[in-house]
Amino acid sequence: METKLDKIDIAVIRALQKDARASFAAIAKSCSVSVDTISKRFKKIEAAGVARGTTILLNPKSFACDCVASFGIRTDFSHIDKVLQFLKKMPDIVFSTQTMGRHSIFAVAIVKNVTVLSQVKEVIKGHPMVREVTTSIWINDILLCPENFDLPTGEEKPIG
Amino acid sequence: MDKIDLYIIETLSRNARTSFRQIAIALDVSPDTIIDRYNALQEKGIIRGSTIVLNPKEIGYSAMAVFMIDISPAEDNKSRFDSSVIVEKLIKMRNIIVASKTVGDHDLLAIGVVKDFQHLFEVRDEIAAIPGVKDMEVSFWSEITELCPKYFVI
Repeated sequence: METKLDKIDIAVIRALQKDARASFAAIAKSCSVSVDTISKRFKKIEAAGVARGTTILLNPKSFACDCVASFGIRTDFSHIDKVLQFLKKMPDIVFSTQTMGRHSIFAVAIVKNVTVLSQVKEVIKGHPMVREVTTSIWINDILLCPENFDLPTGEEKPIG
Repeated sequence: MDKIDLYIIETLSRNARTSFRQIAIALDVSPDTIIDRYNALQEKGIIRGSTIVLNPKEIGYSAMAVFMIDISPAEDNKSRFDSSVIVEKLIKMRNIIVASKTVGDHDLLAIGVVKDFQHLFEVRDEIAAIPGVKDMEVSFWSEITELCPKYFVI
């Protein structure tokens, strides 16, 4: 499913991607429309499910979380759901999904240090339906580029 | 960080557009206090910015993929590839939303959004064409994952 967006919608999204606190007045000015239009468009974008709201980007290191790692997990095929449910209950796992490819599940953990990471891995490995776990520790400068994809009208530069 | 800082962080995580006045009223302090605290949190790098949380399915992306990349080993010092340069190239690629050096199974990791199978292959080929990329493993998923929610922000 895809929601059709026009120029103004895209201007709103692009502005808020860079700074969710951007003033609607400034966006309105750049599009030469009224502030009211921008505020209506923002509500429309949320109502259509294109956006689930706004959030701030935090640095986990400020919260004594120094170690970010991802796990590739292989499980018995019939038990992927059970293992996923198990992972979703673990507080250190911030993201987990079923995948196609070499692993059955891809999960990301944010923890205090490597010792804790090792404990998390042991817990995952200890699950009776888990066959194999590979760990990758993410090293510094993990860069997030939220503006780095196209929006449906395809006004942006094409891929490649 | 004290109670006020934590309250600001919690409130803005749920809705980054919450007015500072509203937060000030909830905490019974002046709006200026909140503005000062917010600026301090940004200066200290605790808050790195704010963004809109998009649902990729609604804007034409049906899947996400993780690319686990191996870099060619050095044959001699001259031909060594700098992994930082490759990470830089990865983040400049369209459709890549996270990239990092890793220790473990592979050398680099990138997560991207893709429209369909063909697009997945295109993105893979584009990564494979970066000088120094030796090998790559791809896993993908189609479960709804919001773009740049808290957990991707590092």
